[in-house]
Amino acid sequence: MEGFFKKGLFFKRSGSKAARDGQNPAKRPFSKTFDIFQKTLSLNNQALEAIAMLGDVLSGDYIFDQHFIEVKSRELAETVYQLIGSLNTLSPKFQGLYEVFQRINDEIEQELSGRLVIPKSDYVMPYSAASRDFQDVVGAKNANLAEVANALGFKTPPGFVATTRAFGAFMDHNDLWEKTESLTKAWKTGEISLEDASEKIQSMILDAKVPKEVRKEIQQAVGKLEREQGYKNLYFAVRSSAGGEDGEHSFAGLHLSVLNTPPEELLDAYKRVIASLYSGAVMEYRKDKGFLESEAVMAVGCLVMVDAQASGVVYTMDPMNPDSGKMVISSARGLGASVVSGDVSGDRHLVSRTAPFAIEKVQTEPQEKLLSPKPNGGVDFTPVEENLLGKQALSREQLQTLAEAALQIERHFKRPLDIEYAFDKEGEMYILQARPLKLQTECILLARDLPALLSDYKIIFKDQGTVAQRGVGAGRVFLATQRDEDLDDFPSGAILVARHTSPRFAKIIRKAGAILTDVGSPTGHLATIAREFRVPAIVGSQVATSLLKQGQEITVDAEANIIYDGIVKELETYNLCEEHIEESHEYRLLRRILKKVAPLNLVDPHSRSFSPQGARTFHDITRFVHEKAVEELINLQNVHRHDPDTVSGKLKIPVPLDLVLIDIGHGLAPRENKRVITMDDIQSLPMKSFINGLTKPGAWSTAPANVDFSSFMSSLTRTFASGLSSPDMVGQNLAVISDNYANISLRLGYHFNMIDSYIGDNQNSNYAYFRFMGGVTDATRRSRRARFLAELLSIGDFRVEIRGDLVVARLKKLPSAVMQGKLYFLGVLVAYARQLDVQMTSDSHVSMYVDMFRNLMQSNAA
Amino acid sequence: MEQKPLRILILDDEPIVCKRLQPALEKNGYEVEIFTSSMEAVQRFRKAQFDIVVTDLKMKELDGLQFLTEVKDSSPNTEVIVITGFATMETAKESFRKGGFDFLSKPFKIGEMLEVIKRAEAKVRQRQAESPSREG
Repeated sequence: MEGFFKKGLFFKRSGSKAARDGQNPAKRPFSKTFDIFQKTLSLNNQALEAIAMLGDVLSGDYIFDQHFIEVKSRELAETVYQLIGSLNTLSPKFQGLYEVFQRINDEIEQELSGRLVIPKSDYVMPYSAASRDFQDVVGAKNANLAEVANALGFKTPPGFVATTRAFGAFMDHNDLWEKTESLTKAWKTGEISLEDASEKIQSMILDAKVPKEVRKEIQQAVGKLEREQGYKNLYFAVRSSAGGEDGEHSFAGLHLSVLNTPPEELLDAYKRVIASLYSGAVMEYRKDKGFLESEAVMAVGCLVMVDAQASGVVYTMDPMNPDSGKMVISSARGLGASVVSGDVSGDRHLVSRTAPFAIEKVQTEPQEKLLSPKPNGGVDFTPVEENLLGKQALSREQLQTLAEAALQIERHFKRPLDIEYAFDKEGEMYILQARPLKLQTECILLARDLPALLSDYKIIFKDQGTVAQRGVGAGRVFLATQRDEDLDDFPSGAILVARHTSPRFAKIIRKAGAILTDVGSPTGHLATIAREFRVPAIVGSQVATSLLKQGQEITVDAEANIIYDGIVKELETYNLCEEHIEESHEYRLLRRILKKVAPLNLVDPHSRSFSPQGARTFHDITRFVHEKAVEELINLQNVHRHDPDTVSGKLKIPVPLDLVLIDIGHGLAPRENKRVITMDDIQSLPMKSFINGLTKPGAWSTAPANVDFSSFMSSLTRTFASGLSSPDMVGQNLAVISDNYANISLRLGYHFNMIDSYIGDNQNSNYAYFRFMGGVTDATRRSRRARFLAELLSIGDFRVEIRGDLVVARLKKLPSAVMQGKLYFLGVLVAYARQLDVQMTSDSHVSMYVDMFRNLMQSNAA
Repeated sequence: MEQKPLRILILDDEPIVCKRLQPALEKNGYEVEIFTSSMEAVQRFRKAQFDIVVTDLKMKELDGLQFLTEVKDSSPNTEVIVITGFATMETAKESFRKGGFDFLSKPFKIGEMLEVIKRAEAKVRQRQAESPSREG
């Protein structure tokens, strides 16, 4: 395989060869068609496994390298390519898939070759739609800010981002790529001076035109904001967010921000910010840090100006003295740019990092002027009112609110931060920016020092339960053992210790420093949200509530699964300074590739977009192929109803399942009425057992107990994508059977389920294979569902593998009677588990359903 | 308990592998040195004593199997763990034949590596206990 796949290899359409050779699908014998169908399913499975595998290694437990990414991506591409070929052999009407494939594959190859791919996105994206996953689209700094607002719920100024794609369009439209490149080259080879190159490029950018489509989207975004804010004439802070900025490299202060821009000057400000990519200082910085010029890509944030009473910057650690346990808050009256640039003096506070955030030291320098917005745009200094002279800009309460918020944001990003903030005239706090803080003294703590340092601390317990979210959290224990204790008093940064998980905890999870439970599994609900908010969590420890006391200071090391008595500062510091693996080149590359591979957009086969053209990822292609393969097989069967070798028809059963049966050899008893098949007609051993299970009394109608999910959802609306689940059977379900064989393709809601089994007299040939692939890609839901299925399957002694949302279960070489029992089991399981998307809100629900299933299996056994 | 920490040399020309293994092993009390150049690793190995070597198989300069041979020739008591992106039975067999302790294919979990290293450690410790004179 290696070597065969050279970079940029153009795939030839070998798959449709059979079709071109004149093999008319309608004239092909059914057995041949069925072979192709099975091959398609098997390729489909291979592709899904590869996709799941690529997603899996991002979990943080794996060590992988670029080579792995290359090999796996190309293997996957080849499989998907063959899959398309296979479907087109079945029926040559899906040639459009090749084009989609080629496009996706080209993009992946571009990523692998190290060239930056400007994502296909809109020209404008509102902050409310962005998150850290959209770094490539909105820039790292903007992505961080969106995360602060959308994941953590802090107030940030409303606004939108002119995306990297808008930038690309701007550069394209004005032919700027080549011009800037040749001028940059001239500078690097010493032909012209840096000043010369910079000035020429900048004036080209300032003279260039913003393309019409970008202009239009920006204007629409402004209009939308005006409607949302309820007034016209919004003024904006226009801020840079360049590629790499605030990722590993800060570019701090190098790019331009244009404050208080009136709407009519927005496009000019946009160009000025873009031009700052080519200031002499930035060009020099890029060269020093080894950035490619092609990485000079700029997204531009347009945020509504906050009418700031006071503003400033928080350093969540003291850069000069990171071990001091204090943060530094600078503040001044007026707009924050003055503090950032050092133009005005103000207050400097050292504040404890531990709740209740005591203010330990204040340095106040009398502030005589403040930066304020001018009525017609721009900013200017004005004198501070006399009665305020000498008074601090922030109240004690404001400082503490800010300190608490800053640490919460730090816990989320898991590194020391430099946070810009403002308080408006009403005293409302806004976060304006959050980016990694560069510490003066680099982390002195090394991993190798840890074992010795930690040996001085008392361990309360270790290796109990399972780590659900890695990380380190230190603070006071908050025991939540009663049903009714007041969670409103939960102190920020405290360690939540509870017997069970409870939906009540949803509202405090963002404030928790870590979570410990006695009972629970890593796929349970609390664990899922802990991961979502990146709060370190160990669940199922059995002993947490009995060994820990209310208010006790502890440190949770959810990397090594150890609970220490007291605050282990070394561990906290180490964890914050540790290089975060998610930021490495390999992780970012794999995440970018996964975006082209894993998301599923084609979920509804009845929708118009369910077409090759609607497919945007490899996952989409596999989903489309699977759906069409089943459909084609049914169609082809309808075409040759006269084929004496095969019989087909609809199965009449007492459950609402629309199932077409195709008999390829003695799967059905000879019948009179050829159109309708009853259960008694089925002779196929695996099929008969399966259907008996499927129609077992109680299995299909078992409705899980009503659980109070909606109230929980409303407190956590961002955790789950909703509305994608319907437990109804839709679309076509198909079984191809013979006397000893059954291949059953079912679609349960939006999930695909495939069962393949052979049961004969030769025990060694017997097998049963079960595959489930979910349709909803939201990671929080999938693992829980997959684990639930896996638990059920293991009750039936199946060997189960889970990768992401893909569940594969196998069983083989058992005597015929036992095998039939297993197929019966699968039938019950499919009937029962089709309601999986009726949510299980906690681990106790999961186990309850598992118990219900056990009972069901035991009741009037087969 | 008061044993000298084991010394581990890691060689992989992909920096990310070294960068991740080093802190993970150090947190578990091992002394770790990392190399992305096999030449440098060879030179270092000739100068210093290591109890365990973890090496990638396919590298630009010196092949991992050659390094394995080199290590076993000059220091038979050093246990060598081979990691590779191409897990074939052939390479596995060959690394065992040349005296490799065990074999992991990428991607692997940190826990899997720790588990292999703990087994190698047990072997090294046992050998040290049997012939204490050779220690150090």
